[in-house]
Amino acid sequence: MSLALIVMLPFLGAVLPALMIRAGRNACAIATGSVTLLAFALLLTHVPAVLRGEVIQAGWTWLPGLGLNVNFFLDGLGLLFAGLILGIGLLIIAYARFYLAKEDPMGTFYTFLLLFQGAMVGIVLSDNILLLLIFWELTSLSSFLLIGYWRHLPEGRQGARMALAVTGAGGLAMIAGMLMLGGIVGSYDLTVILRERELIQASPLYLPALVLILVGCFAKSAQFPFHFWLPHAMAAPTPVSAYLHSATMVKAGIFLMARMWPVLAGTEAWFYLVATTGLVTMVLGAGIALFKDDLKGLLAFSTVSHLGLVTLLLGFGTPMAAVVAVFHIINHASFKAALFMCAGIVDHEAGTRDVRRLGGLAALMPITATLVTVGAASMAGVPLLNGFLSKEMMLEEAVHTTWAGQGWIVPLAVTAGAAFSVAYSFRYIVHVFFGRRRDDYPRTPHDPPAGMWLPPAVLIVPVVAIGLFPETFAGDLVRASAAAVTGGVLPEFQLALWHGFTVALALSVIALAGGFALLARYRAVRRLWQAGPHPEAKAMFEAVLAATVAASRRVMHGLHNGSLGRYLAVTLVAALALGLAAFQAGGHEAGLRDSLPAPAAAVVAWLLLVGACGLAVVLHRQRVLALLAAGVVGLIVSVGFVYLSAPDLALTQISVEVATVILILLALYFLPKESPRESGRGRKLRDAALAVGAGLGMGGLAWAAMTRDAATLSGYYLDNAVSGGGGTNVVNVILVDFRGFDTFGEIIVLGVAALAIYALLDGAVRGAVGRKLAAWTPDEPHSADRHPMIMVVATRVMLPLALMVGAYIFLRGHNQPGGGFIAGLVVAIALIMQYMASGFGWAAQRMRVDYHAMIGAGVLIAAATGIAAMVMGYPFLTSAFDHFHLPLIGEFELASALAFDVGVFLTVVGAVMLALANLSRLGRKTGVAPVNEAPMDVDPLARRQAAARPAASGASARHDQPAPAPTAAREG
Amino acid sequence: MNALVVAPVAVPLITLILCILLRPRHRLVATVSVAGAMALLLVGLQVLALAAGDVVLAGQLGGWQAPFGITVVIDRLGAAMVAITGVIGLGTVLYGLAREGDPAVARDFHLFIHGLLAGVCGAFITADVFNLYVWFEVLLIGSFALIALGGGKRRLAGTLTYLVLNLLATLLFLLAAGLVYGSTGTLNMGELALLFRAGEASSAATLAVVLMLLSFSIKAALFPVFGWLPASYHVAWTPVSALFAGLLTKVGVYALIRIVTLLWPEYGAVHEVLLWVACATMLVGVLGAAAQTEVRRILSFHIVSQVGYMILGLALAAPLAIAGAVFYLIHHIIVKANLFFIGGLAARLTGSERLAAMGGLYAKVPLLALLFAIPALSLAGIPPLSGFWAKFALVKASLADGFWWAAGVALLTGIFTLLSMSKIWNEAFLKAHPQGEAAIRPLRDARWAWVTVTALAAMTVAIGFGAGPVMDYAIAAAAQLAEPTAYFRALDGAGGQ
Repeated sequence: MSLALIVMLPFLGAVLPALMIRAGRNACAIATGSVTLLAFALLLTHVPAVLRGEVIQAGWTWLPGLGLNVNFFLDGLGLLFAGLILGIGLLIIAYARFYLAKEDPMGTFYTFLLLFQGAMVGIVLSDNILLLLIFWELTSLSSFLLIGYWRHLPEGRQGARMALAVTGAGGLAMIAGMLMLGGIVGSYDLTVILRERELIQASPLYLPALVLILVGCFAKSAQFPFHFWLPHAMAAPTPVSAYLHSATMVKAGIFLMARMWPVLAGTEAWFYLVATTGLVTMVLGAGIALFKDDLKGLLAFSTVSHLGLVTLLLGFGTPMAAVVAVFHIINHASFKAALFMCAGIVDHEAGTRDVRRLGGLAALMPITATLVTVGAASMAGVPLLNGFLSKEMMLEEAVHTTWAGQGWIVPLAVTAGAAFSVAYSFRYIVHVFFGRRRDDYPRTPHDPPAGMWLPPAVLIVPVVAIGLFPETFAGDLVRASAAAVTGGVLPEFQLALWHGFTVALALSVIALAGGFALLARYRAVRRLWQAGPHPEAKAMFEAVLAATVAASRRVMHGLHNGSLGRYLAVTLVAALALGLAAFQAGGHEAGLRDSLPAPAAAVVAWLLLVGACGLAVVLHRQRVLALLAAGVVGLIVSVGFVYLSAPDLALTQISVEVATVILILLALYFLPKESPRESGRGRKLRDAALAVGAGLGMGGLAWAAMTRDAATLSGYYLDNAVSGGGGTNVVNVILVDFRGFDTFGEIIVLGVAALAIYALLDGAVRGAVGRKLAAWTPDEPHSADRHPMIMVVATRVMLPLALMVGAYIFLRGHNQPGGGFIAGLVVAIALIMQYMASGFGWAAQRMRVDYHAMIGAGVLIAAATGIAAMVMGYPFLTSAFDHFHLPLIGEFELASALAFDVGVFLTVVGAVMLALANLSRLGRKTGVAPVNEAPMDVDPLARRQAAARPAASGASARHDQPAPAPTAAREG
Repeated sequence: MNALVVAPVAVPLITLILCILLRPRHRLVATVSVAGAMALLLVGLQVLALAAGDVVLAGQLGGWQAPFGITVVIDRLGAAMVAITGVIGLGTVLYGLAREGDPAVARDFHLFIHGLLAGVCGAFITADVFNLYVWFEVLLIGSFALIALGGGKRRLAGTLTYLVLNLLATLLFLLAAGLVYGSTGTLNMGELALLFRAGEASSAATLAVVLMLLSFSIKAALFPVFGWLPASYHVAWTPVSALFAGLLTKVGVYALIRIVTLLWPEYGAVHEVLLWVACATMLVGVLGAAAQTEVRRILSFHIVSQVGYMILGLALAAPLAIAGAVFYLIHHIIVKANLFFIGGLAARLTGSERLAAMGGLYAKVPLLALLFAIPALSLAGIPPLSGFWAKFALVKASLADGFWWAAGVALLTGIFTLLSMSKIWNEAFLKAHPQGEAAIRPLRDARWAWVTVTALAAMTVAIGFGAGPVMDYAIAAAAQLAEPTAYFRALDGAGGQ
């Protein structure tokens, strides 16, 4: 259990610094440090057991369905890495306390740092590759936060994003690889996977899985060609660079390669992929490092190079190479972290870390100079220091390695890399600390407080100690971790300072000499370097991003340019393509049902239909005419319904048609009579072709459906309408009973639509549109007689008749053609007529109905009938009916569905009237004319009186004014 | 019939009616609206609890036997969708309380939102093709009202695009529903499923269903018919666009999942088409986002790409893939709505939605930065947040079926999403505000908005860490989709009155 605790402690402790910062910077640092210290101490309790070769395990299940268990295990490799992470972490925490400036938010920094630490420990202790992946992504993320820590630096933000992109993308590739690996083995537990070497390497998925996992590792460990993000991550504060980008996070890729070594290594593919990448990275990184003037840049590329070296060793695939790899990991972590911290010290105290502006600091900063000299000498591979030992062992392995049958390539390349390494290491020493003292340092350099130089000093101790007595200080650890890497089998070896006169020793000497020679001729070498091409990774990365954006802009513009016509065209093309594909795929034999004969009347109606459609297309820019043509289409359709014996549909269609045409006409009043010409010839042709295609497709589909016999539900409805629904009009029973739920939904649509129109216009009228309306003048003169007497009289007479018809249609609806919907429309039309005849102002005063409430009441009544059924224990909307007898009226039937129909009726009337009220409100807003109070403009009484007098002026003056409301004149 | 089975529709409808009747009293409307949203959430949690216990609610409306009457079914998928609708509905209503400005607009917001929720819930519970159409209409009309709310030229232009293309989709659906009935003689989904699963559907019926799927695809904003979404979602008022972003496209996705799993449980031609469409949708959406410079426009394009993932799960047809799609739906609705909510807060704080004019939020309002990071990372699929598990299941299912390229597209889309989110992070949060810190205005009256975004972020984290039970639920939901016994049982029931 303590294993899980080691991982969890940094996560749990991450809240501490954020809280403790209130108590001061020291308290904050101490709190953070104690968290790490506690985890480190817990880890140390396991050391004896692990060094004995035991593997400690702990865990529980999390998502068994996906194969994810929270399993941790600790072996030599895990111990080594966890020790590095927590140990160096402790030093970094101390160092950062003094490094961060007062204005830097330290609490946040430590919180991020602990999050990172927890994720990193999680990676190295995970016994489940899915769990490992989780921690893996978390390190990318916390590194993103830490690189962007100095948020005022744009390069920090960009560097953070680049690091996230590269390592995150690598992580995704790795997810795929790991999933494949888990698929091969059938388990995601590492301890299980690590036993299945033969199974994995025999699988056809081995190679893809290997490549994907390696991409993830290489990206994380900044291996060629993914190395470019690391130098840009150096915008982070130095403690972050030292911790994440040299000692720990970049080693996660190395760790994973080492972890998977037992099952993935040993094949040709592994050798060529891993060793080659490592070799190229090592030489390239070392070469570039030599020419970096930024100390942190130099160290960054040096890190790239050293990671390449470890990768190379792991790539060799031999147990001895693995031993050397582990040994070098230890050595590199110690001297590189120290060197980074020292670079930070130089930056902090001298005010710059540009090598060209430094020099001669040795006398000013003796302690730092000593630390750097020892550390960099170790990095260069100078004897008596730990870097020398592992480098020489590496050379020894390289000498025995042939690449593509050539024995000289690897030794030559590594020697060259080593020589570069010597050169840049000594450049760090010589160009910064020795040479002439300058008088133009940005700040006065001096050694930092002990809190800052002690952490690197602690790291320099093992550099010397291991360098002198390798077997004593590192032997057990190297053996335990290397055994974990190789899976138990270890060659006999002794870590020793002196191996005799070997080829490796000679190569070491050559490298040292070469390095010094390079440095001695630095100016000449640098000129040579500057003459060559310098692919700038950041520029390339940004160019790739910019190209992606540009490409996406182009694609988007093609599909999605804001033009409605384009969207419609795309949609129709998609519909046609899909229809064609489905048609091609399925069988398409003709239907077998006999077609009906076409009598002359039907043919004429069809021709009218086609003609009216064509007219609507041709006239579409003349709005009123196009509307009329569309109205003709609607009327013919309703005639068609009559012809096909569907009186209910015909009635509905015709009343809907009338109501909508009236409302649209009223709306058209506010629009120009012609719509602007919007598309050119090409567009029209395209649109015509699409429309014809879509129409043919739809017609064909309807044809296909109608020429086949299919089962229908009609029989059941006919049989049950009377017995079950209590009505002989099957259509109405379907609407209010069988499928009452649909009707219920539809009246909501109607009601909400009316409310929506109201809300939309309400807002508009009070806003900019209202001002526009107020300033608006109609483009055509108004009729002189806004409210003609004959219309007023006619509509007044018709009103009771129409209401009676509405009531009749409503009541008979359950048994004869009719029903609440049609009745509602009829009544609404009758009411609209009153408004049209006498104007809204007059009519509204006589009908003070809140149409909103009417709609609400309608829906409420419909819902209540449904709910009443539920109260009585029946399903929602269950109907009931019975027969009653009343004197005078006689036998009659009442169905609960009638109440539902009342709801429909009210909603329909309310919705139509609300829409009308809106349009008239718009009309009044124009302020073109006053609202009329009288039923007609011409008062017959006044005229008679006026006729008695010689000159009548009042009424005729009013005649000249344009009408305020949408005019009935155009209508009638 | 259990009253609970129609409650998801009835509760928002009654709320809507009450709001209509109480219209003039603005404060009261808001109160009723919040109470109604809470009631819907309770109903959602109740059906979810039942579904998790393997209770499938079903009923015949009006007591008429299927296929003659309308069937409603709430299975695991439906229950999850209803519950999530309750969550987002309540969140939206609460967030909407902070409306400054015209009180009439706020009142209308509360009113229409329940109309929309009724439509959404109706679509989730119905087992009848035409009834599904009706609920689509209800939610569509509610959405028209909501998107146009507040008016203004830019908003109305967006509304027009939204309106025309969605009406076209609805019209296609209506035509398809008619043709489906004409060629099969039934509208009941269970009976259709029996017909198609037995291979007895005529080619005309297949074509009609394909047309219906196209209509759903427009609603779900799949490639290439997604254009209306990024053209319109950014114009609406924040809580409205959050509701749309989270919930509305998912109704289309839900309908696709429902119909395709019912009719074609095995991988076939339809799935193959969907697979390509899914990959194209993921890529196009995420690439489209790369070119955007406004928060909500970026997020809108991500809706498109994320829908691609869900369709990928549907297209793969394997149980794990369907489960992944279900998980994705649940996760995505919360995350996406929350990102829009947070984007709205960020825009109000900084005074702009353009990334170039934003900044400084990390320093000034660190809580918002944290709250943004959670859904943003979840969207990109960073473990252990909810999005990771959804993506993980889908990638695993793709690889298991040998569609490595689909897995590749899914992963690639993930990294682009991450880049997009880091762009917003860097620009809106990390960099300094171009007009200095003082330009960040404190929010008044946003208490409930903060509650909403915090609660949703907490849910994202909870789904991430508690992924086990959620995934189990999704896997069981996928099993129900493969064997929709409740749909078939409704047909056997002794019906009639």
